[in-house]
Amino acid sequence: MNFTSRDSRNIVASVLILTGIGTVMVYSSTALMSMRQYGSSFHYLWKHIFTVLVGTAAMIALSRTDYRRLRSAVYILLAGSLILLALVFVPDIGVSANGARRWLRLWPTTFQPSELAKVVMVIFLADYMDRNIHRMRDFKHGILIPVGVMVVFQGIILLQPDFGAVVSLGILTVALLILGGARLNHIGALVLFSLPAVYLVISTSAYRLKRLTCFTEPWKDPFGCGFQLVQSFIAFGNGRFFGVGLGDSRQKLYFLPEVHTDFIFSLIGEELGLAGALTVLGLFVWLFIKGVHVARRTDEPFSYFLTLGLSMMIGVQAIINFAVSTGLMPTKGLPLPFISYGGSSLLVNMAAVGILINISSKNEKIPAGRVSYGDNNPSHRVSYMKRRR
Amino acid sequence: MAERRRRKTETRKLWDEDPVRIPFQRSRKRSGVLVTVILFGFAVISLRLVNLMVIDHKRLAERAAEQYTVKEILIPQRGIIWDRRMREMATSVEADSLYAVPSKIKDKRNLSRELAPLINVSSKKLNMTLLKKKDRGFIWLARKLDMNTALKVSALRERSGYAGLGFLTESKRYYPKGFTASHILGFTDIDNKGIAGIELMYDEYLRGEASSVYVNTDARGNSLSGDVREAASGNNLLLTIDERLQYIVEKELSAAMKKWKAKAGVAIMMNPATGEILAMADRPAYDPNFPGRSRPSQRRNRAITDLYEPGSTMKAVLAAAALEEGVVGLDEEFDVSQGYIVVGGKRIRDVHKHEILTFPEVIQKSSNVGAVQIGLKLGKERYYNYIRKFGFGKKTGIDLPGEVRGILRKTEDWSGTSLAALSIGQEIGVTPLQLLAAYAAIANGGVLMKPYVVSDIISPAGKPVRSVSPTVRRRVISEETAAVVRDILKTVVEEGGTATRAYIKGNLVAGKTGTAQIFDPRTGRYSRKRYVSSFAGFVPADNPRIALIVVIYEPKGSVYGGVVAAPVFKNIVEHTLAYLDVPMEREENQIVLAGTPR
Repeated sequence: MNFTSRDSRNIVASVLILTGIGTVMVYSSTALMSMRQYGSSFHYLWKHIFTVLVGTAAMIALSRTDYRRLRSAVYILLAGSLILLALVFVPDIGVSANGARRWLRLWPTTFQPSELAKVVMVIFLADYMDRNIHRMRDFKHGILIPVGVMVVFQGIILLQPDFGAVVSLGILTVALLILGGARLNHIGALVLFSLPAVYLVISTSAYRLKRLTCFTEPWKDPFGCGFQLVQSFIAFGNGRFFGVGLGDSRQKLYFLPEVHTDFIFSLIGEELGLAGALTVLGLFVWLFIKGVHVARRTDEPFSYFLTLGLSMMIGVQAIINFAVSTGLMPTKGLPLPFISYGGSSLLVNMAAVGILINISSKNEKIPAGRVSYGDNNPSHRVSYMKRRR
Repeated sequence: MAERRRRKTETRKLWDEDPVRIPFQRSRKRSGVLVTVILFGFAVISLRLVNLMVIDHKRLAERAAEQYTVKEILIPQRGIIWDRRMREMATSVEADSLYAVPSKIKDKRNLSRELAPLINVSSKKLNMTLLKKKDRGFIWLARKLDMNTALKVSALRERSGYAGLGFLTESKRYYPKGFTASHILGFTDIDNKGIAGIELMYDEYLRGEASSVYVNTDARGNSLSGDVREAASGNNLLLTIDERLQYIVEKELSAAMKKWKAKAGVAIMMNPATGEILAMADRPAYDPNFPGRSRPSQRRNRAITDLYEPGSTMKAVLAAAALEEGVVGLDEEFDVSQGYIVVGGKRIRDVHKHEILTFPEVIQKSSNVGAVQIGLKLGKERYYNYIRKFGFGKKTGIDLPGEVRGILRKTEDWSGTSLAALSIGQEIGVTPLQLLAAYAAIANGGVLMKPYVVSDIISPAGKPVRSVSPTVRRRVISEETAAVVRDILKTVVEEGGTATRAYIKGNLVAGKTGTAQIFDPRTGRYSRKRYVSSFAGFVPADNPRIALIVVIYEPKGSVYGGVVAAPVFKNIVEHTLAYLDVPMEREENQIVLAGTPR
């Protein structure tokens, strides 16, 4: 791995600490369940460690690959991820669980293509907006084409269904389009016109509607649909400043469903307290800010969009997960990057970090803040113009 | 210089014309807003965390503590009831009971649908119950399931992962002998509370101490602590009943019931020296394991709750009183040749006509006319006093619930015919136990003993809690009088007596038959069809080991005590003497005459 730049060292450090905390918490949350199901408390832990190792390998590999080469592979990636998404519906290859088909059978584990789709969407948009940067103010180029691609992805993902991925993909796309220079009134119109669609998606699915009402009034039915949220609150409440102690959670004893995946942050809150929860949150902030720092050193749109896009992807997923487990957002089923048990998310996010590290190492010579378009530095202007030609 | 300037201008131009520059600069400006929004998001989460974890801590922690504990009720093991030889008559077995915590059941409808057929209720009803009591922390769904059902339910619980269902091991009353001694033992309700018999009478000793504990559990109700939780068991009881004798008595009584198509039957066996009840049988009977399947008439312990007119069996009391008071001599003769006697305008008849009878022969042949004459000689006050002293009109004090006093009117309420009627055992209501106690007094030398069925109360650890010793109620007649009455009663089963069918080869039987018409309150007269046949006596006559009474209510075919009840008495006694290993007293049949010096 290339540790030459300060930013990349910071990014790697924060990711490794987050992954470490995640591994410990995955063991804490799955030990009993694993013992009851497999007779050994390590079953889930070993699977998680395996994923961490594969993810680290992917991170190292991508940090050594020139990220610019991704540009030539954009359409391959786009087509590949769409095919993988569609393969989920093929019997024997696709795996269903809890009434959803989101996974591909991949010995010895499974893979969730919707996680990959998020990264591919970021890479595609970075490339697309770079090439069309001067046309982003058109409705056609600024909104219609990128949103069209997004809707194709969302449509397939919604069929699985994976509403969490649909929402995070939407938020991510809109954020990147704002960044890419699309007219704000176009974006406003897009959001306004998508509202009926969102309403339709929610209202046609009984469980989504129920989740929404449960979210607004969890205490009304604490043993029915508000159960998970109430149990999550109780976990946080139990934790107070320094938590009940690592491994001593009571909520993980089947009170809090999905404690090792979507609600692992509640477990962190319970066992490690406010101190632990804020540490995890702080690590994500640190990671995000370092990502922004890397972006400030880039001097052309593709790198800039890609860096910020990947940073935001991780940050937005973290915020949505936090918001869901603290009851600020309705339940969606989105893992916490680097922490939650669940291979695909971990793998994809570590791969994204690998790309970030590579961008950082390629652009470290460029002084932060006064990049290419800094009007005060004519020599820089020349080098930029040369690169552009 | 010019070249440099030219290049500079060119670059400047290129720069100015670059189509990317302006939009990229706009992007950089916009990025600031986006980054700020995301950082603001993180800040909001932080505040929310402080709110949940610090400000709401107390409320949420209380809520947590509430859901981590489950109140567990510990039902103690009820004491064992043993017969006098430590055979188990009533014991407790473990049975699983299913409970629900409705507040924890999420999918009530599905659960009801799957569970209902297993526990034999309608799914609609179960669902209604769960919905109605949805805020309750604990309700029973099915108590004391058999092992098969319990296994099926727990398999369902594992398979479907239903939270809010659980089992508690309860102790269930079990009567290994079934029908045997059911009227003495009684039974318990589903909560192991004594409802009848000894179970009711000694409930406070048997039941033990119930308690409840709070147990830490996970969300599926599995206990997290491994400590032993046990409630204090109840005390055990040792009965005076001998299960083998009880069996003999019940078997013979059942046979007689069948033979005579009788409505009911009672037989009680007692140790006359101590008042210990050795056996007490009632027919019809019931299985205390399933008390709900029987009618109240089957569960009634007629031996202590039902009154009947004793008839001729009362003549033993009359004879004892007359002898004790010295109003008759043994050689005194009574003229009964008329076949009837008129007292107070009422004519009292004999069944068989005799000429002149001595005092013992009046009893032996059960002459009503002779008995009335003896009664008249004794007088109503003295006779009444002896009836009272023998324990009639008062509870015997046996340790079984539901005993009645009987009916004995005071002398001032007597009519002109009352003395005569009482001399032949009418106008008085007695329980079989009262009459047996009176005969036991004659058997043991004149002392009225208090009958009892529980001899010892023993703690679960085996230490005696209470030991019952025989209680003398009072001396009724002198030993000499008792001996003479015994001799007279011996002749009843000999040649010329009314109960030759109670004669036993090898041992002397003393007893008296009774055949009483049932007083019909509807017509105000004695029924011509409905009788109570009885035989009360003791054996061996000179050194009585057992006193026994057999009462058959409303036999069909024959009605006489000598025909209906005496053979039952004989059968029971024969088996009993063999079981108790009582030695034969005599080799050949010798006629013992009443009044011969002993």
